[in-house]
Amino acid sequence: MTGCCGAGEKGHAGERPSLERVDVLSNERIAEGVGLMILHARHTASLVEPGQFVHLRVDKGRDFILRRPFSVHRARGEQIEILYQVLGQGTLAMAELSCSDDIDLIGPLGHGWDVPADVNHALLVSGGLGAAPLGGLAEKLAREGVAVTCAMGAPTQERLVGLDVFEAVARRVVIATDDGSEGELGFVTGPVERLLAEGSFDIVYACGPEVMQRAVAAMCAEVGVRCQVSLERLMACGIGACLSCVVTTKDGLKRACVEGPVFDAEEVCWDVSEIPPKH
Amino acid sequence: MTGSPDMSVVIGSLTLRNPVLTASGTFASGREYADFVDLSRLGAVVTKGVSLKPWAGNASPRIAETACGMLNSIGLQNPGLAVFTQKDLGWLETQDVPVIVNVSGHTVDEYAEICRRLDSDSRVDAFEINISCPNVDAGGMVFGTSCPDAASVVSACRAATSKTLIVKLSPNVTDNTEIARAFVDAGADAVSLINTLLGMAIDIEKRRPKLARVVGGLSGPAIRPVALRMVWQVANAVDVPVIGMGGITNSRDAVEFMLAGATAVAVGTANFVDPTTTMRVVDGLTEYARSEGLVRVEELIGALET
Ligand SMILES: Cc1cc2nc3c(=O)[nH]c(=O)nc-3n(C[C@H](O)[C@H](O)[C@H](O)COP(=O)(O)OP(=O)(O)OC[C@H]3O[C@@H](n4cnc5c(N)ncnc54)[C@H](O)[C@@H]3O)c2cc1C
Ligand SMILES: Cc1cc2nc3c(=O)[nH]c(=O)nc-3n(C[C@H](O)[C@H](O)[C@H](O)COP(=O)(O)O)c2cc1C
Ligand code: FES
Repeated sequence: MTGCCGAGEKGHAGERPSLERVDVLSNERIAEGVGLMILHARHTASLVEPGQFVHLRVDKGRDFILRRPFSVHRARGEQIEILYQVLGQGTLAMAELSCSDDIDLIGPLGHGWDVPADVNHALLVSGGLGAAPLGGLAEKLAREGVAVTCAMGAPTQERLVGLDVFEAVARRVVIATDDGSEGELGFVTGPVERLLAEGSFDIVYACGPEVMQRAVAAMCAEVGVRCQVSLERLMACGIGACLSCVVTTKDGLKRACVEGPVFDAEEVCWDVSEIPPKH
Repeated sequence: MTGSPDMSVVIGSLTLRNPVLTASGTFASGREYADFVDLSRLGAVVTKGVSLKPWAGNASPRIAETACGMLNSIGLQNPGLAVFTQKDLGWLETQDVPVIVNVSGHTVDEYAEICRRLDSDSRVDAFEINISCPNVDAGGMVFGTSCPDAASVVSACRAATSKTLIVKLSPNVTDNTEIARAFVDAGADAVSLINTLLGMAIDIEKRRPKLARVVGGLSGPAIRPVALRMVWQVANAVDVPVIGMGGITNSRDAVEFMLAGATAVAVGTANFVDPTTTMRVVDGLTEYARSEGLVRVEELIGALET
């Protein structure tokens, strides 16, 4: 990956998305209802920054037409990894893709995570599939000498994903599951509150259900720690033209596919923000 | 071998290099597509709807996917004429492509004022008057579905500009031919159709509408047969050029619309699926014209045999 990590560097400085045919290299179920797909995507893999996403076309032979947005979990060489939760017809179609299939995607898209130059210790907070866009970030931070702590939440142990990636680079990983089957019982916001009280973090990166991101944002505001969140919106074009993905911010409406999906938690107007349709 | 067919078509006082346009609201002003599309190979760019003052649009969720199509209730969110003129027209000026400005308004005066202010702007080649949007409470279908009101918008715009005036028709009416004739009488140089069909979708788990605004406009391949039928009816009812759209995804679809009577076609929702769709349609249409041995693509217009 082209790791440029200057102060306030945007997730896609100067890089242009393209439409590229990609090959499915592998596609397997890695947790309950969750797949990991590895794609040979030369253009995207060489440009993508953590937190950016791709817009996948998986409609072949189906009666739906729109693409599906997915964060790039990690990129290595000419490959990208996508962690996806099987929910509806698009992700069902993805689960059925096999190695011989070629599909296409538009990428890399969006504004990814910003890593300010003065960061020493980052807290990454994930809820469920929220681990997807944080994987590449954890690796990038570690490479650049930033200490990483992860707080992961999931409904149950079977649906905890991304743990291996975080464990490989993080100083510490704390887990909470709704049923206590792994780590502590309860939401991830419990451990996050305690971790923040330790006072050693410069920045918090959060992705997961919007209610969780909102709670984390509030806790960060309370203790004065900068926080970035990755928001999901329904997306038609994915490139900024249709205005279906808007997020209400203090500076007005912004497009999650271009100005986001990563936003400064402070700029988001959480009261009017739309809870995504999934949950 | 015959030479390349002449792909140009004429709409009002405009000669377009080919009949392939972008459908308003699906292509912004083209900048977002510049990575995928060579704008200088388009017949024209039709911009997102612009209003006099900024419009915030509707609440989210604004889209819902449905079988072979989508519903939208964007609500004509746009930054208003001043920002549009500076930013969008400023950028379009650097591109080698004719510009058709899609005009929205809440009142007759608003529509006319936009035409008046842009009438002397050389960066604008034509107007498409959107009196048919199902997504705003006033100014949308209220005008587009009732003859006298809609015709008064058209005459006011006609009086405000000498540029080519295209009027966009709503499919949410019983008889489009009567309305189309009224628009032509009021001064329209061309008509375009169809705008989206009013529709709705429900999340049965939550027992809630999928769109925050409950209802929205259906677009995409799902509406193509309806659009084609309406284009055919209107083309047979008026003497001005018709711009056909609704679910066009490839050049075969474009040929269908031209055979039904369209002089030009616009690609909308398909841009979201494949951002290079317009280029594929231009290439495929040219290839079709060549393989049919046409001298001019215009020979296709209304060439349906019945
Ligand atoms: C920037 C971005 C990054 C994402 N990254 C990931 C990821 O890494 N892993 C992952 O599992 N999911 C991710 N999502 C959510 C993912 O796009 C949806 O879960 C997926 O599109 C559902 O498709 P479906 O056909 O299975 O569901 P359906 O319910 O059949 O989808 C119907 C429509 O709703 C859209 N949709 C449904 N749920 C969502 C949602 N939560 N967000 C956005 N659109 C939705 C679909 O794209 C489709 O247009 C991301 C969303 C965004 C916006
Ligand atoms: C997201 C979206 C936004 C649209 N915005 C506008 C608009 O601003 N003005 C307008 O006249 N039509 C608008 N339309 C309608 C399209 O221009 C077109 O008439 C319609 O979508 C049918 O064509 P299609 O099936 O190829 O998309 C919009 C359509 C979509 C899907
Ligand atoms: S998805 Fe079209 S503007 Fe963001």
